[in-house]
Amino acid sequence: MSDEEKFDAIVIGAGPAGTACAYVLAKEGKSVLLIERGATPGEKNVTGGRLYTYSLELVEKGLYERAPLHKKVVREKIMMLGKESAITIDYVDPTFVADIPQSYTVLRAPFDEWFASEAEAQGAMLASGILVEDLIEENNKIVGVKAGEDEIYADIIIAADGVNSFIAQKAGLREDIAAQAVGVSAKEVIELPDNVIADRFNLNNDEGAAGVIVGGMDGVTGGAFIYTNKDSISLGVVLNPEDTAQHGKKIYDILQDLKVHPSIYPLIKGGTTIEYGAHLVPEIGFHGMPDKLYKDGLLVIGDAAGMCINTGTMIRGIDLAIVSGVAAARAILKNEEYATGDVGQLYIDELENLKLLPTMRLYANMHKILSLPRMMEVYPSLANEMMQFMFKVDGNLPERADKAMLHILKKHVTFGQLISDGWKGFKAL
Amino acid sequence: MNKILVCYKWVLDEKDIKINPEDLTVNTSRAKYKISDYDKNAIEAGVLLSEAGDVTVDAVTFGVNTKQSVKDALSRGLNKVYYIADVTAEAADSFVSSNVLASAVNKIGSYDIIICGEGSSDTYNQQVAPRLATILGIPTITFVKEFTVDGNRVIATRKLGDCTEVVTVTGPVVISVLPEINKPRIPSLKQVMAAAKKPSEELKLTDLAINPECIKPKAQNLSTKGYVMNRKNIIYKEANQAVNVAKLVESIAQNGVC
Amino acid sequence: MQGIWLYSEDTTIIKQLLTVGKELKMAMHQPIGVITLCADDANAFISAGADKVCVIKGDSTWAESYADTIADILAKEEASVFLSGGTMRGKDLAAKVAAKLQAALVTDAQTVEFTDNTIKTTRLLYGGLAIATDAVSLPALVTVPPQTYSEAVANGDTQGDIITIEVSVNKENITISNVCPIVKTGVNLSTAKRVVCVGRGLAKQEDLAMVESLAESLDAEIGCTRSIAEDYHWLSNDRYIGISGQKVKPDLYLGLGVSGQVQHVVGIRDSKTIIAVDTNEKAPIFEAADYGIVGDINEVVPLLTKALKTRYF
Repeated sequence: MSDEEKFDAIVIGAGPAGTACAYVLAKEGKSVLLIERGATPGEKNVTGGRLYTYSLELVEKGLYERAPLHKKVVREKIMMLGKESAITIDYVDPTFVADIPQSYTVLRAPFDEWFASEAEAQGAMLASGILVEDLIEENNKIVGVKAGEDEIYADIIIAADGVNSFIAQKAGLREDIAAQAVGVSAKEVIELPDNVIADRFNLNNDEGAAGVIVGGMDGVTGGAFIYTNKDSISLGVVLNPEDTAQHGKKIYDILQDLKVHPSIYPLIKGGTTIEYGAHLVPEIGFHGMPDKLYKDGLLVIGDAAGMCINTGTMIRGIDLAIVSGVAAARAILKNEEYATGDVGQLYIDELENLKLLPTMRLYANMHKILSLPRMMEVYPSLANEMMQFMFKVDGNLPERADKAMLHILKKHVTFGQLISDGWKGFKAL
Repeated sequence: MNKILVCYKWVLDEKDIKINPEDLTVNTSRAKYKISDYDKNAIEAGVLLSEAGDVTVDAVTFGVNTKQSVKDALSRGLNKVYYIADVTAEAADSFVSSNVLASAVNKIGSYDIIICGEGSSDTYNQQVAPRLATILGIPTITFVKEFTVDGNRVIATRKLGDCTEVVTVTGPVVISVLPEINKPRIPSLKQVMAAAKKPSEELKLTDLAINPECIKPKAQNLSTKGYVMNRKNIIYKEANQAVNVAKLVESIAQNGVC
Repeated sequence: MQGIWLYSEDTTIIKQLLTVGKELKMAMHQPIGVITLCADDANAFISAGADKVCVIKGDSTWAESYADTIADILAKEEASVFLSGGTMRGKDLAAKVAAKLQAALVTDAQTVEFTDNTIKTTRLLYGGLAIATDAVSLPALVTVPPQTYSEAVANGDTQGDIITIEVSVNKENITISNVCPIVKTGVNLSTAKRVVCVGRGLAKQEDLAMVESLAESLDAEIGCTRSIAEDYHWLSNDRYIGISGQKVKPDLYLGLGVSGQVQHVVGIRDSKTIIAVDTNEKAPIFEAADYGIVGDINEVVPLLTKALKTRYF
């Protein structure tokens, strides 16, 4: 091993987590090798999705202004789908887009490619089209990586290789992906002119809308999302793979059924599907994270560390990935400065400081509510039927409101079930 | 013979190109670029020679956004890449391309062997190698399936439709290679890393002493339309293959094909 | 400019070019000239429609070495059109001639016409995905694939000039040797009525046996995609169907483990019925097929063979 082959850091995976880490390290003059298995960064990645801007500001102030981001999100929707009806809560908040907009919708291929080129501009060396096949361990410390015949060494290795992190498994920090820990997501990018989207979603020029959808998944555990981009809409579903199979359904078919739902179809009508993507998504938040996020010589960041949350009203992954990349970089830099020798612990400290771990803990049990079986069909149907009652006028004498509501309630659930679900929800929060 | 030059083309990947079913127009908006397939064989042929002896192998490329190609090209083992990035390339035919490449060669220095791919994966005109050679006043050997270098001679086996022949040329020569000549390497991590340190140089069209008439295409594209087949697309996907087979046999019998 | 000039090192191909040459002659009102290396065929060309034949008598048997000579002839005659037979030798030579004349050259033209006062050609792009129509400035050089046109019929015409040019083209620094014919298996896929084609889905060479049984029960010839012939050498090169191989137009084409890349589909798209079997539901071949089965060929082929044998065809 000659010195010229040794880097300060090797980052495996040029997604948002890996690239953020490489960027921060390279900016401080560290020699970083950023290895990506796709021919270009972003090729292997899919997102809903949106990016919360604070995370890019953490990497570098003002960086977001150069990024290929789509629409700044001003309108947030929650949709509960019945069989044909839907209840939509639509919240518009101009403060979300004032000054530095809180979030932007984004398409991953151009974003990841741009972000990686920014890291390169800072001095990181990007090697694309290369699969890291193994880690090199010496005296219980990870000291390098192996790709084909080549072995490259570094002071620290960062595993940013995504939801089914092969590297974290190789290091013994996690097992192969468990079916209940992930969702399978399928999405389409549907092309429509900007002005049509603006009309349908009630938006101004460069503003966007984001929505989470519950119900309408043909009874399968999961949910859906919708985002408005420049000249396109991202629409997709995230489903529990085991439940999908048990219902005898295919994820592609559920997505197609969603597209023709009377509340969704008018939004995408006339559009052309220009892209179709699928990906695994960490689904159980904090409980799905590996027990240890590091080992001597190795840090695990981003989806590889299970850092995704669904808060019920929003889905967050990219921002957490970027924050974890920054945390890892800062830990490495601090370790150099203070030579504590325990980069791993410094990394955890940074994750606490930057509020990532506290956020993961806060929403740790959220998935339990969201995956309550009755959340998928029963409660949305119940809510929709109540709405139907409240708005129906056909000349007949309606039932008295309180009696009618009870009636509808009893039709869908027993009190015992309600209490049980309520209790579960309360505990989860 | 120790100075080799490879010519490669940076092309749209035809597998990403779609035809719009309504009007049969060609949609290249989602297409990524790549080094043309047979040019990878040409690069590999040049690099293998350089690895066997004290030989340098450079490359030259002419296209609209060739700068993007440099990293990929260098990671395949080339010593240096010269790239010309000019919008003229958009409508260029082989007449223009070969004139530009010839001027580039005249500018960057003489080479003993110039290697090209048999034809590019986008237009497959198969003209650049013989045209280039003729403009430079040197011989050309096309459709080469293997070749060796012996002193200042190139001994190449051509594979033509109905025969093979061995052509021996003394002195500088242009050869175009068939894809069966070698298997282009998939760059390893170290090769990709090494590429970052290797030199590349942009050549501006204005720096090449080129007669403006020589970069006006002689063949003008009037239209490009997709070739679309209208087939029945009846696909049987039952889990039980016996069922699929039975249905298939029934269908083709009904159609009187068998 | 005056004159539509035709050339091939192969006499039969010159006769094919005379067919399109005569169409151009009608449209352009210009005489047809033929350049040939075979003195004996000059009269045949005249009676098939050439107005003038220029025989090149040279000291080299390498057809490619006459590029300069031909360029000089075309320049002297002020040719407006030059059609070269699209064999590999013909393409090599045409490009050299085009460079010498600094003229346009269109390769593998499917059609050549003179309309709206321009020479227009059509040809394939992107491996066969698209067709480009080009306007070619004069002098227009074009290579035409063999068998694009049928041979011009002799009409007993004997009016025409035959001139002979003697040239010395042998160059000291170029030698040709070891000219060996490529042994063909004698199969002519381009006239086969039924073709069974194997692709990369075929796991090993031994599996060809089951394909042969199937082909037998269908009374079909066997073809393959490029890699099977040129990379693996499991079948001879003349069985390779695709853009730079055989073009087939059978009543029935059956692809086994063929993914359907456009470079292969170009060779089969004139088939009457296309059937495909492949494990990948999303393989492009299914878009090009009339019928298909998604499945493992190892499972499907024996079943299919049996079903066909039990059915009376």
